[in-house]
Amino acid sequence: MITTNDRGGRAGAVLRRFSRSTAMTLLCVTVAGYLALGAASSGEFLQGPSVRTFLQYLATPILIGLAQTTALCVGQLNLAVGALGGFTACLMGILMADAGVPAPIAVAAGVVVAALVGLVTGVFIVATRINGFIVTLGTMTILLGAQYRLAGTRTIDDYSPTLRDLGRAAPLNLPLVFLTALVAAALLAAFMYGAIAGRRLLAAGGNPLAARLSGISTDRQIVLAHTLSGLLVGVAAVTATASLPGVNTSVGGDWLLPSFAAPIIGGVSLNGGSVAVFGTVLAAFVMRLIDAARAQFSLDPSWVNFLIGLVVLGTVVGGRIRQTHLEKKGTTHERTPPAPASRGQTADAALPNAGGAR
Amino acid sequence: MRTPVRTPRNASRADDEVAAPKSTQRLPIWVNQRLGLLVLTVALATLFGILRPAFLDQRLVLFPLLRDISTLTVVALAQMVALSVGHMNLAVGRMASFGALCAGFGYDRLGLPLQLGLLLCLFAGAVIGALTGWIIARTGVGSFVVTLAMDFALLGLVSLLYSALTENAAFTTRPSGLMDLRSTSLADICIGRVCGSPAVPQLAQFTVLALAGLGFLYTCTRMGRELLLTGANPAAAELSGIPTGRRILLAHTLSGLLAALAGFMAAVGTGTFRASIGNDFMLPSFLGAVLGGTLLTGGIVSVLGALLGTSLVGVIRKGLDLLGVGMESLNIYLGCVLLLALSADRVRTVVSYRKVVRSA
Repeated sequence: MITTNDRGGRAGAVLRRFSRSTAMTLLCVTVAGYLALGAASSGEFLQGPSVRTFLQYLATPILIGLAQTTALCVGQLNLAVGALGGFTACLMGILMADAGVPAPIAVAAGVVVAALVGLVTGVFIVATRINGFIVTLGTMTILLGAQYRLAGTRTIDDYSPTLRDLGRAAPLNLPLVFLTALVAAALLAAFMYGAIAGRRLLAAGGNPLAARLSGISTDRQIVLAHTLSGLLVGVAAVTATASLPGVNTSVGGDWLLPSFAAPIIGGVSLNGGSVAVFGTVLAAFVMRLIDAARAQFSLDPSWVNFLIGLVVLGTVVGGRIRQTHLEKKGTTHERTPPAPASRGQTADAALPNAGGAR
Repeated sequence: MRTPVRTPRNASRADDEVAAPKSTQRLPIWVNQRLGLLVLTVALATLFGILRPAFLDQRLVLFPLLRDISTLTVVALAQMVALSVGHMNLAVGRMASFGALCAGFGYDRLGLPLQLGLLLCLFAGAVIGALTGWIIARTGVGSFVVTLAMDFALLGLVSLLYSALTENAAFTTRPSGLMDLRSTSLADICIGRVCGSPAVPQLAQFTVLALAGLGFLYTCTRMGRELLLTGANPAAAELSGIPTGRRILLAHTLSGLLAALAGFMAAVGTGTFRASIGNDFMLPSFLGAVLGGTLLTGGIVSVLGALLGTSLVGVIRKGLDLLGVGMESLNIYLGCVLLLALSADRVRTVVSYRKVVRSA
């Protein structure tokens, strides 16, 4: 996580250290949980087919988590993640099965449509100045209706076998869809941490006023963030279409809550200005582990939601307690912890995050 | 009831104006969002009535429509209370299903009479709401995250409890009076020879109570004003000696209580207590509150607006349904209505603001 700089280097360094430990904790939890599951299943869980299934269904959660992260980093929320994903998946299915469009064109069309929907949402938010929450609530409703209208009550499963094979393909036991998600995460990380456009996004999210004063158009950043978010949802829809046995109106129905859970557990602030690509990916891992453990011990599926709720609550509350603890420590010692080697320049906007109600 | 509700809206908008009492005269009448909503709802109802005379059938169409509106208005009020302090309650639906679970448990296992079960349901909702509020106030974590996590946790907990406590995931025991409550309308209550309309369900009494209670809270009590100030500007509220933490706790408790009431009403409407109650509450809760003029950022609420916003959505839904628009397309139209209404409202506010500025 990189945060727009708070009160000079000290707080920034504390936050950075804190954030590094978030990813670190998540990494430890993931590894420990994975090994524990492996031990509990007497090694069966660590073998080829299990690992492949585990990673296969990890791709979509990672991608929707990243899509939400992109919207969150400019301080916006994207409630339309699930609806847009389901709509795009159904659109691609219909194009391939009914219209006979070849798979590559259908996939490209789906991704482009998803990005365009994101673009339109962003433009609408900027043009009308209505809260993004409400606008995406509206687009969510519209897209849910559109998805239902496209697919009706049937399940579309007679689409391109090539796409299906690609969805199941797993060179070196690593499913292709999972690799797609990882590549998307790497590209997003490079964009957010390295590219000037990415830094602008974070600056606009961290402190819109300061960003405007330093010559960054916050409006353009909001549009860009929503477009990127739509694009990532489009990719998520591709992975879902490729790995699911068929698409229908239920696709995307349960994406909304996990899409928020992953960035929040990963350490992204809802106020904007921060991004945690690695953390989000790891958080998706943790949630998938809970699901796998549920399947391993054949428990009621409701346990997953209950546990994820507790984990989210525990993460934010624990994080807050830890942060106040660190701040207290920082003020009593009056010493600056050595700044870690800077991962990319600190953002252009160097003003404290207003926070609270705006 | 419109005037008392207007007062906090204008008063809180008038922080920067010296003459607060005058401010009610400042904005032209056509800016009043609630009047527009009322006109639009009545016009649409008339239009649907002309196109499909069946729309005005009191028993078969208006009665269920008003029952739905009564329930969803309470849902919108639950959201509105959370919005009044600048927070959100994403877990309204799940708090409703938790309340319904407790009521069903009371009827099925404890053999409680109707009223006591309702009290248990309200108490459970208030406890869950208070817990949420306490976490938010204590840790300072955003309400969005906390209620989202609450939503997750309750989603799992409620289905777990249903599958642990019942055979087919629903409480079907109906205490005496529940079916009456479900199907009686004002036509069954007569004073002398004058009977009420068969279109108004008896369930609406809860909505009227909730509306009156919240209207009183926000217009006439110090507590209500403190809630609004906490929403409008938490720092200023803190500095003027308002215990903002306790007000936030209160708002979430009330929100949980109202959500549980809505869950009870929905359960009475369908006749069974099951986990799917409240699944589709989130969208209507925001639609009703926001269309009615409640601000997402806090500080401005409109109790009557929640009723009017919900009514508009209900009339559109029912009317389009009768016109033969499939359920799938309904959502498309509803989303468009939401976006159009808010854009129109935005344009109206900007235009009227310019007028006021020019005349001042």
